[in-house]
Amino acid sequence: MSFDLQRVLESKRAYRQKLAARPVAEKLRLLDELCERAHAIRRASAAVHEPGKVAEDPAPYEAKRRAGKTR
Amino acid sequence: MNIKEAITIINQMQADGVIGRYAIAGAVGATFYLEPVTTLDVDIFVAFRAEPGKLILSLRPIYDYLAARGCPTEGEYIVIAGWPVQFLPPGTPLVEEALNEAIEHDIDGEPVRVFSAEHLCAIALQVGRAKDKARLLQFVEAGAFEAARFQSILTRHGLVDRWQQFERQFLRDQP
Repeated sequence: MSFDLQRVLESKRAYRQKLAARPVAEKLRLLDELCERAHAIRRASAAVHEPGKVAEDPAPYEAKRRAGKTR
Repeated sequence: MNIKEAITIINQMQADGVIGRYAIAGAVGATFYLEPVTTLDVDIFVAFRAEPGKLILSLRPIYDYLAARGCPTEGEYIVIAGWPVQFLPPGTPLVEEALNEAIEHDIDGEPVRVFSAEHLCAIALQVGRAKDKARLLQFVEAGAFEAARFQSILTRHGLVDRWQQFERQFLRDQP
């Protein structure tokens, strides 16, 4: 195991490139799993949400802003 | 959760005439060009069809169609195959162009329209939140878009100054 930061960063970059190069169908299956985890984390963190916590407005598009659908 | 199944249902909805052209944007769209990126939902831009006799575009036909197929609603989302999906009209000329010029991809025989990498980058630049900038950096780092096409989009939509600012902030001030 190496603690050379440069090598660690290069290794991370190479892994991301390898993931990006996978077939779309496989990447979408990974996305299914990631989304399931993200929802589980959100459900868990909602239970310990602290009022006044700073969070970025997630509404990304003009259409959402116009519709007043910022959350 | 099964995004491919969700896409199959959306394609059927298009074939049944409920929606016109559609294209996937956001993190799910970016996954067609980059490594998978964690997200909570699917953003789908749709060329809405106005209901007869009505000038205001309505999501009602989409909700009704999907509800009849067992898809529940959660706030502004419709849950399709476990994925919260939001259908959006193109709200800016840039997004409208992105919808018109979306790329057709294939997922094991299932066609799907996705915003081009260049349009995803331009939209990320225009929206400009931290996570949009991070995604744009991912595209830059991966070399996953065509620079000339991206530049022409920036020029058409008045985003050249913003891109130069982004370059100064993130791409030139490296240690």
